[in-house]
Amino acid sequence: MAKVGITTTVPIEVIYAAGHIPVDLNNAFISRSDHQRLVEEAELAGFPRNFCAWIKGIYGTVLETEDLDTVIAVTQGDCSNTHALMEILQMKGIEVIPFAYPYERDYDMLRMQMHKLMQRMETEWGSVSETMDRLDAIRAKAHEIDEITWRDGLVRGYENHLYLVSCSDMEGDPEAFEDKLEGFLEEVRTRDGGSRGDGQDGLVRLGYVGVPPIAPEIYDYLESMGARVVYNETQRQFSLPFDTRDLVEKYLLYSYPYSIFYRLTDIERELKKRKLDGVLHYVQSFCFRQVEDMILRQSLSLPVLTVELDHSTRLDARTRMRLENFVSMLRGKGEA
Amino acid sequence: MVYGVDLGSRCVKIAAEDRVGFEFMGPFDTAGFYRRYIEPDTEGGKLRRDELDLESEARMAATGYGRARLGRGAVMVPELEAIIEGVKALTGLSDALILDVGGQDSKALLMRKGRMEDFAANDRCAASSGRFLENMSTALGMNLEEMGRYWENPVELSSTCAIFGETELVGLMGEGHKLQDLAAGVNHAIVRRLLPLLSRFQADILILTGGVAHNQALRRLLVEARSVQVVVPDPPDFVAAVGCCRLARGLE
Repeated sequence: MAKVGITTTVPIEVIYAAGHIPVDLNNAFISRSDHQRLVEEAELAGFPRNFCAWIKGIYGTVLETEDLDTVIAVTQGDCSNTHALMEILQMKGIEVIPFAYPYERDYDMLRMQMHKLMQRMETEWGSVSETMDRLDAIRAKAHEIDEITWRDGLVRGYENHLYLVSCSDMEGDPEAFEDKLEGFLEEVRTRDGGSRGDGQDGLVRLGYVGVPPIAPEIYDYLESMGARVVYNETQRQFSLPFDTRDLVEKYLLYSYPYSIFYRLTDIERELKKRKLDGVLHYVQSFCFRQVEDMILRQSLSLPVLTVELDHSTRLDARTRMRLENFVSMLRGKGEA
Repeated sequence: MVYGVDLGSRCVKIAAEDRVGFEFMGPFDTAGFYRRYIEPDTEGGKLRRDELDLESEARMAATGYGRARLGRGAVMVPELEAIIEGVKALTGLSDALILDVGGQDSKALLMRKGRMEDFAANDRCAASSGRFLENMSTALGMNLEEMGRYWENPVELSSTCAIFGETELVGLMGEGHKLQDLAAGVNHAIVRRLLPLLSRFQADILILTGGVAHNQALRRLLVEARSVQVVVPDPPDFVAAVGCCRLARGLE
């Protein structure tokens, strides 16, 4: 069993079916206590200062993770910075397997990509399909946590983020991850109260769209002001909340690697369903998605606050000021 | 008597309101203010009111980046809410677009019927803030007030960075450009960086707040660029402090 790094969500069914352990490099980077040092090391190695901190962090994480010599890099459906990362990792002797999500969401092309990945990992459709059934049962538990978040108000924004974002690699151990989800669900059911979910209890209900935050403390900071994230767009997507047993279709419905317009159909449906007051759009400094911010703002009917962070995993005073004012503005609208 | 304190990134402004009206103290340099008037404390610190001749029991509201330094003895209020209340108190207007340019960032606030309808804030760059003008005035050897008088014949500054802009300015001085034209170039540069913030909103009146509103050229260039009536509250840098007084009063 070897560790296989992934730069974003890829069909982990293939990796598990091949008997390997997927490691979502983003999660591995952000959960380390020395993530700041990793970014600095990457800069010392020559990465520009004005470059995505996630890429720099992943670079350091790959080099410092033991027994990790293979990375599946998403080369279409993510950013060109990933291309450059893939190349510099190859220079360092890491085996890189490219994986491309077809921009046009073409079934045959995605199927072909999956097939090639299976060949490269020495597994086949049958065992991948069996693995999918096993993982889907675990994902269903994450979906339940998500449901309880917006419907019953018993789950904090950070908890929702954490369990959904972890679905991207199931923490390298699906059984242990399943136990964790079950334990959490059991504990949540004993919690009392919760938000009524009808906006009448003074809690400001927020949606979080864009890539997961480099500073997860954003969730608790919002809660300290009486606001809660009850929708995490990308993290929810990582849990593949789709009712299909066709592996290819599942990853075609998955919205993150495709066009912003396809993502918007998913976002708009969830915003309506979850009765939100406002939306936070998180963008990473120096990321192309800052341009997509324009489209999001023009398309969404709710107030949008764009939050931009660079490499600090703590919230800075400027960001706190923006969040605080956004929450106070939404609360004012609610009372008007 | 109520007090409003705006602890900005560069300056601290204090307003006092009694039955007669407002009185203003400052602006104080923020670093010097912390050293002299704040009693450090693990729970957030406390203002040495006696040193400032402030009544010890009067209600106080605080805003701005440093407001947590007054963890004890003041009510914390969100900055943009304070700006809205301050604008209403000083101008009597309730429908306008407000542009607040502070020491380290700038924000556009859309006020409708006296409430904040929407806002936009600058990106993670100091080039559209007061700090940019401060750096430039130092490089030009000209104080902020004088630099704010020039808008004609601007020399184009292309750098998007508050630090490299300074280097560029020094280079242009070496090429023999007139200081007035370079000052005009600085004012044009900051307006160019502020306009994208405003472009999302429509309003007939633009209210300028924050210390940068003292800059005459900025006012004139914004009128030209946006065809709006520009209103500057008096004094523009104390708007948030005044708003804090109003919010403190509301809590009485």
